[in-house]
Amino acid sequence: MKKVFVILTILTLLIVSACSSKSTGEDAGAEDKKWSPEKPIEVVAPAGPGGGWDTTARMVTQVFEEENLIDKRMPVVNKAGGGGAVGWAYIAGQKSSNHHLFVSSPPLILVPLNGQSQYSHEDFTPIANMIADYGAFAVKADSKWNTLTDLFEDMKTDPTKISVIGTSSPGSMDHMQFIKIAQAAGVDVKKVKYLSDPDGGGMTALLNGSVEVYSTGVAETVEQVRAGKIKVLGITAEERLEGEVLSDFPTTVEQGIDETFINWRGFFGPADMDPAAVEYYTAKFQELNDSGAWDEMRKKYGWNEMFITGDDYKDFLNKEREEMQVLLDELGLAK
Amino acid sequence: MEAFQGLMSGFQIAFSLSGIIFIFIGVFVGTFIGMMPGLGPISAIAIMIPVTYNMDPALALVMMAGVYYGAIFGGSTSSILLNAPGVAGTVATSFDGYPMAQQGKAGKALAIAAISSFVGGTISVVLLMMFSPLLASVAISFGPAEYFALMLLGLTAISSLSEGSTIKAFISAILGFMVVTIGIDSQTGTARFTFGNANLLEGIDFLVIALGLFALAEVCMLIFNRKDTSVSDNKNLGSMKLSKNDIKEMAGPMGRQSFLGFIIGVLPGAGATIASFIAYITEKKIAKNPEEFGKGSIKGVAAPETANNAATSGAFVPLLSLGIPGSGTTAVLLGAFLVLGIQPGPLLVQDHPDIFWGIIASMYVGNLFLLILNLPLVPYISKVLRIPRPMLISLVIIFSLIGVYALSFNTFDLYLLLAFGVIGFLMRIFSFPAPPFILAFILGGMMEQALRQTMTISNGNLYIFFTKPIALSLIILSLLSILFPIIKNRIKKPVG
Amino acid sequence: MLKSVNRKVALFLAAVAILFIFLSFQLPSYPYTEVDADIVPKGLGFLLLICSILLFFNNQEETEAERKKREIPRDELLMLLAVFGIILVYIFLLELIGFVIMTILFIFFTTWFLGYKKLISNLAVSVTFSLVIYLLFSYLLQINLPAGILPI
Repeated sequence: MKKVFVILTILTLLIVSACSSKSTGEDAGAEDKKWSPEKPIEVVAPAGPGGGWDTTARMVTQVFEEENLIDKRMPVVNKAGGGGAVGWAYIAGQKSSNHHLFVSSPPLILVPLNGQSQYSHEDFTPIANMIADYGAFAVKADSKWNTLTDLFEDMKTDPTKISVIGTSSPGSMDHMQFIKIAQAAGVDVKKVKYLSDPDGGGMTALLNGSVEVYSTGVAETVEQVRAGKIKVLGITAEERLEGEVLSDFPTTVEQGIDETFINWRGFFGPADMDPAAVEYYTAKFQELNDSGAWDEMRKKYGWNEMFITGDDYKDFLNKEREEMQVLLDELGLAK
Repeated sequence: MEAFQGLMSGFQIAFSLSGIIFIFIGVFVGTFIGMMPGLGPISAIAIMIPVTYNMDPALALVMMAGVYYGAIFGGSTSSILLNAPGVAGTVATSFDGYPMAQQGKAGKALAIAAISSFVGGTISVVLLMMFSPLLASVAISFGPAEYFALMLLGLTAISSLSEGSTIKAFISAILGFMVVTIGIDSQTGTARFTFGNANLLEGIDFLVIALGLFALAEVCMLIFNRKDTSVSDNKNLGSMKLSKNDIKEMAGPMGRQSFLGFIIGVLPGAGATIASFIAYITEKKIAKNPEEFGKGSIKGVAAPETANNAATSGAFVPLLSLGIPGSGTTAVLLGAFLVLGIQPGPLLVQDHPDIFWGIIASMYVGNLFLLILNLPLVPYISKVLRIPRPMLISLVIIFSLIGVYALSFNTFDLYLLLAFGVIGFLMRIFSFPAPPFILAFILGGMMEQALRQTMTISNGNLYIFFTKPIALSLIILSLLSILFPIIKNRIKKPVG
Repeated sequence: MLKSVNRKVALFLAAVAILFIFLSFQLPSYPYTEVDADIVPKGLGFLLLICSILLFFNNQEETEAERKKREIPRDELLMLLAVFGIILVYIFLLELIGFVIMTILFIFFTTWFLGYKKLISNLAVSVTFSLVIYLLFSYLLQINLPAGILPI
């Protein structure tokens, strides 16, 4: 008897909840052209807690909520796996939802090109790019190379003596940023020895002399440079960055290598997102980008502003993909 | 002199009222997180970062460091009581902790774990304080060749983890090694054995294996013995009484493993898990009564628990003195430094001596808090085993499921967990030991990577191992540890 | 009898080894490395093959304790299968129905099924446990467990 009662209670609960969620969904804003969120917005970080995507997602939602730019909750949901592929597949399953966003960066282009994700940036709705980061190539402080040109000259004569280490696997970011610049400098990229250390042992391997070059992000090098342990031969930006130490890093362009690599980071929605919703989010991200709180956040993390939206963003992504495609084809890594 | 002043300012932070409060919050949250399977210190710290945004950096970091070592401290609880290791560093603790709890000595096992954690934590903080700047060079002395040799040494322990058939132990280890090859290969980007499934690209998480092979396989046994009430009826379940002999037995492992664990922790990438395994194995090798290991040996609990806590302090050496994160958790901690406007790096001790020494000093206080917090709880926590078996079984299952789900929020991992539960169960009934499987799973992946990195650097020349003194001596040591038992047997035979 | 069980296991493992070796040979090669992705798996596969052959011809006697482990009554095995079946259903419905409802149902039903007949305390535990965990994760830790059909 008691059991029947329990089951009945649960059933009633189920029915009540199902009804209530339906009714709220249908009433709101059917005629209104201006779209605004009706329920919490799920912000997906296609990686585990603690990484770059997760940090960006958490910081963006935090500023959105604290500055009252968006009055709905914005829970960050981690969908880790496959270098992002699992998260992207999840978003692809939320087609035409207006309450899902996710954060991504160059892997959204590289992972599909490597044949490890069936979804690429074209399967989503680009909303706004927020941040740019740049790559840095570091060597030990007592190394004989002082410029990228020195290094690349030696690589041209004897590539077997120089190993490059990075965090990501071959064909992904740390590898491709080095390849892109090295190729522009005339190095035979097929002879570049690249090692990956996914657990972040790159700096250790550089410091103890196991490898010669560390391909990484600019921020990772600053403190070691300041302490005089390593030197940065070049960063992949067009112009020098601002800030103590940072402004000392020579760019690739000023060393006569006409190539750059941008580690962009932006927000996307699922495919077929309502244009009114896209408009809403674009405006909100614009407000965020202009806010003082976000500026402070950027400074804390050493992120550079890079705000692109709409069709410009799409064009940028397409161009990035074309360039990567050419390089990967050259290496024979594209699938 | 400067260091002394720094240390004093560090102690001032640690002993200020707000310092004490935040250390307490940190270790409290840490213990709690550690006790819950699946909630690791990584997610806890990542989640805390936004909360600490506007706090005094020293206090915030002292608190987050507390979460880290608190989680390792508390992590032994579920290993001992439920055979469900929530944190990787406490798997080895379950080898003897769980049998002990099943013999009705849960309180004793938990008390041993807490005391050895405290001793390991405290001795290692002394080492950290005295040698941190000196050890910085040790921390980066290991390149791929040295790591390969270290992992090899670890793997030679497989035979000592077996009970009964050595072949079965080896098969178990090979299977563990095979499982870790699943996923994207880091050196080539090749997807291995993923069958086109995106969920497998990043490989199978350690926790899936640990909770499957240990917790779920144990659940199967509990289901068969669900009417057995010998554990829950035991009146002394929560008793923490340790005899003089018990303490004497703990003293050796605690002393030795505080040092060994600390040194292993200093090496980036090695960390608490490897330290705990190596501690367990070395103690078993030098013990007069190795046959007691695996059946509820006091040393078998004390050794890994001392070592994993000592290794946690060791992990602060590269982080604080070089700005190099040695593990996932310290990487997130490094991120926390950045948010608080502190640049962690080789200059931290000069730029922010208060923070450098504050964190170290806080660890004395934190470890003391952990002991005070944990010991009185032991009698109550042990009562978890009083929960009627049917309910305990369903709760352990749910705990394992939540733990794995919280990894990636993906039900695929849950199916995998279930599959490894079945594998673990089959391994048990056919007498294949699980510890070699998990050891090979932990070490194998790193070993393969290190070997291939080394080969890329040397252009395929094995001679490179002879040019590295540390690597060479570790390889010789591993050869000896394989040959020694064989030689010992040969010598014994004619006599006996 | 005893030997034949070990032999059956050995044959099974040999099959696994052969399958693994076969799959290792299918791995695409990567041009820029000294030790390619297939070397270690191939090595492991052959090692497993050798070990399973050794196990097959091993005449080490199984101990009494080891034999006992394998003797499981049929009913108990069915019980185990049923519990695994319930777990499968739980996983399958977790994201559809939501964490709270599924966990309440799972704990309540499994506990009852395994022979705990005090329904009131069972219900109390399953409801409190599920709600506490859910609230703890969602609000305190900001980790979102699937809400499913409940509007929380």
